[in-house]
Amino acid sequence: MISLAGRDILHGWGKFVFTGIGLGLLIGVTLSMAGIYRGMVDDAEVLLDNSGADLWAVQKDTLGPYAEPSNLADDLYRSLQTLPGVARAANVTYLTMQVRPLADAASVGDAAARERRAMVVGVVPGGFGEPGQPESLVAGRHLTRGHYEAVADISTGFRLGEQLRIRRHAYRVVGLTRRTVSSGGDPMIFIPLKDAQEAQFLKDNDAIVAQRRRSAANPAFNRPGQPQVLDAVLASQTQSNSVNAILVRLTPNADPNRVAADIRRWKHLSVYTRAEMNEILQAKLIATSARQIFMFLVILSVVSAAIVAFIIYTLTLGKIREIAVLKLIGTRNRTIAGMILQQAIGLGLIGFVVGKTVATLWAPVFPKYVLLLPGDAARGFLIVVIICVLASLVAIRAALRVDPAEAIGG
Amino acid sequence: MAEPTTGPLGAHPAQGIRIEGLRKRYGRGDTAVDALRGVDMAVAPGEVVGLVGPSGSGKSTLLKCLGAVIEPSGGRMTLGEASIYDEGWRIPDLRALRRDKIGFVFQAPYLIPFLDVTDNVALLPMLAGRPNGESRERARELLAALDVEHRARAMPSQLSGGEQQRVAIARALVNRPPVILADEPTAPLDSERALAVMRILNRMARQYQTAVIVVTHDEKIIPTFERIYHIRDGRTHEEAGEGRGLE
Amino acid sequence: MKLPKPSRRALSLLAVLIPLLGAFAWLALTSGPLAPVLVTLAEVEQRPIAPALFGVGTVEARYTYRIGPTIAGRVSQVAVQVGDRVNAGQRLGEMDPVDLDERVAAQDAALRRAESGVVAARAQVRDAQARRDFASAQVKRYEQLLVARTASEDTAEAKRQEAQVAEAGVALGLANLESAEQDLGRVRAERAALVRQRDNLRLIAPVAGLVVSRDAEPGSTVVAGQSVVEVVDPASLWVDVRFDQLGAGALRAGLAVRIALRSQPLGMLEGRVERVEPRADAITEELLAKVVFADLPDPLPRLGELAEVTVALAPRPAAPAVPNAALHRRADALGVWVLDDGEPRFVPLTIGARDLDGWVEIRSGLVPGTAVIWHSQAPLSPGRRVKVVEQLPGVAP
Repeated sequence: MISLAGRDILHGWGKFVFTGIGLGLLIGVTLSMAGIYRGMVDDAEVLLDNSGADLWAVQKDTLGPYAEPSNLADDLYRSLQTLPGVARAANVTYLTMQVRPLADAASVGDAAARERRAMVVGVVPGGFGEPGQPESLVAGRHLTRGHYEAVADISTGFRLGEQLRIRRHAYRVVGLTRRTVSSGGDPMIFIPLKDAQEAQFLKDNDAIVAQRRRSAANPAFNRPGQPQVLDAVLASQTQSNSVNAILVRLTPNADPNRVAADIRRWKHLSVYTRAEMNEILQAKLIATSARQIFMFLVILSVVSAAIVAFIIYTLTLGKIREIAVLKLIGTRNRTIAGMILQQAIGLGLIGFVVGKTVATLWAPVFPKYVLLLPGDAARGFLIVVIICVLASLVAIRAALRVDPAEAIGG
Repeated sequence: MAEPTTGPLGAHPAQGIRIEGLRKRYGRGDTAVDALRGVDMAVAPGEVVGLVGPSGSGKSTLLKCLGAVIEPSGGRMTLGEASIYDEGWRIPDLRALRRDKIGFVFQAPYLIPFLDVTDNVALLPMLAGRPNGESRERARELLAALDVEHRARAMPSQLSGGEQQRVAIARALVNRPPVILADEPTAPLDSERALAVMRILNRMARQYQTAVIVVTHDEKIIPTFERIYHIRDGRTHEEAGEGRGLE
Repeated sequence: MKLPKPSRRALSLLAVLIPLLGAFAWLALTSGPLAPVLVTLAEVEQRPIAPALFGVGTVEARYTYRIGPTIAGRVSQVAVQVGDRVNAGQRLGEMDPVDLDERVAAQDAALRRAESGVVAARAQVRDAQARRDFASAQVKRYEQLLVARTASEDTAEAKRQEAQVAEAGVALGLANLESAEQDLGRVRAERAALVRQRDNLRLIAPVAGLVVSRDAEPGSTVVAGQSVVEVVDPASLWVDVRFDQLGAGALRAGLAVRIALRSQPLGMLEGRVERVEPRADAITEELLAKVVFADLPDPLPRLGELAEVTVALAPRPAAPAVPNAALHRRADALGVWVLDDGEPRFVPLTIGARDLDGWVEIRSGLVPGTAVIWHSQAPLSPGRRVKVVEQLPGVAP
């Protein structure tokens, strides 16, 4: 017996392949959508992974530092450091802002075009694998100076040796990382903690000057005969001794929940374990946008399924006369159903291969991370096959209802 | 040209096809229409008979009953030595019956567009479970007999109308059916080609000892029949034809 | 089933499907979890580590002279502008003397009167002395006359009495004179005090220097101790530097430094650590140090200008070293990944000094020449498939 499906495909292979490719693009979009959803979830995961912390100590009764603002005195970490079970405690600040390369007069436009939204992370420089430090680099080196150096995520577009501007200071890019992003997918730029503290609370120069004028105009600060009061007030206005969180790494055998309870009880801070932080990010921070994407994914899957069904149904209807002839000359229903089913699955296979390929190809072009999990691909494959089988059932039903008598004149 | 072979599929009946008192009623009760009111026909192996009649005379209904795609309401049909209908189907598998015992030739050739000429013909034995090689071999024999051997690898869309019709005839013959039903096989063809098709049908009927029923109202070919059944108001009247024009 | 001979259609279909499947397979192997992690390698190098410290500070003057009045008053004149160079003793401005000049004039008058009093007293003394001298001469003559019995005893006695009266007159005159002189001294001292006060209202430069601020203008009132003009000694400019306490243990006075002023980030200036403050900043966790310029640049660094200071610590002898990007912490052990039969293996290390260029000395764990994984595209784990490349994708050369 020859394969009727194969012959039919071979006969109209151009149409078949192009239909498959069209279907594949649709499947590619669906897979990409799944990838975007996974990417969002993964962004949150890598944020936690990259921080290298077991516990996050934040301002009391906040969900900081990612989901809510949190401010702590920057000397609190010392008291955490001495707790049993704590291996390392390190300050960290997070600040999402626009960062652009340092421009001379000739490249102002270029610099403006390369401006990127980034999460500036202030870390304690010098330590290797300290909490908060990027774990592995793709180029360059870690921060060694206490000031004015930066390690940037490669997706910021900054190059090694380039200078970038954060608030008032220029920072030299000494290292590049990969996949260090905030939960919102913004690439991270690591700078020394002190600079970051300053950047976080430093206003622009105009604002500072205006603030000075305001203070000088306030008779409470500018007392006649006591000019030093004003100086002291002005100096205190530019001080910042806050950080957003303290990242705590535990000793290998410590129980995170017990240490967290200790910190909560004695240090009057809110503390989150890795699992709790994950919950905060997943359930609170990215929940709506992830659900949004997920809904879209569901709709897209339904639409894809409908389109597959339409395509297969239409392909079958186009052959209704041939099917009638086939039935008249004695082809078994099984053979006809098999032909339609095989074509549907063949179409699904081409669609899946095309879809997976294009999704993989265009995934890096997306501005945010697209994570194509093999598990998702396998699930997608299964769903595609199931959809194709279901869709072909409709077509098979139509084909089997064809009356062989239709082939005869009347 | 190969000798007609006989085998399980090609067991030739002595009687060809015989129909007695075949009736067909559409619908029920008051709205019932009697399309066939007792048709009697008998076609011997190797004989080509014409079946003519105006539209609505019951031609198509008769053809469908003969073709086992609709069930008659009464009467008897005998194919070869086997009774296939006697106030009810006597054959459990009508599909196999159509496949193995009846050859169809239509007004349009209705070839399967995605199979080449050989496979269009070879499909029937394949469907009957014959090995591919044997089926194709048999198809090629028939194509050679019908002088379209040279188009064996062509796709149906590449053939002329006459060639397509010859392939369709080859397909009808490939399982050595005792009867071939031809429904307006010459309608789209000009006079010369129509006669050519009739010549082929006659030759093949003789060669393969097949009874051929040609449903037609094509004036060009009516004179070629030696025997013609007129059908009117669901009944047939047999009369002698002219039996000329095929030489 | 016999395979049909490949038709043109079948071939063209395969021509489309095979590249598609090829691309699919290639992508499956090169991206996703099946793909190897791209890494670059670095060798453990035998190199001297020149550790260095990096600090940030501001340019400040060691000596700042805030010049102002000692008593509250109104500024009458400021003679210098910001940026002027002044010499020691130069008058910078003056306070309003109010009535001081008039009081000096009054004292002048009093002085003149006291001087006249002294003159009068002297004249009086001389007059008394003349009277006494005459009386003494009369006494002598009458005593001779008495001896000669040409005058009576009474007369002589009267003359003696006259002489005694004249003597007393002299004493009175002298006493008057001394009083007048004392008075003169007092008036003179009072005047001198007033003049000193008057002088105190002049604002005088104590040293040669540069005027850096002019805090009050003529007519404004300043309190005692408030500065009107600030003068610094430009030769005493230094940088007040703050170093992170982390790793700054080797900071010593006398170490050579390089100073980059924010206004001239490329022009590196030489200098040295003048002193490390004994008191560190507990809040900011920084050490404080003063750094002086080897040669003062021209133009002078501006006070308060930001300066980046790199201190070269004493270089260490050559030792095995790795780039810091190769170091990772794994289960609380610091170490590097090495390639073992193409698979990464973690080797714990103990590390020593580090320099600002990112090299870290290895005390033990690896020998020079060992290839270690330097950069990697993703975090590594033992047995993960890796592929060594020259440069990771996306990193501009």
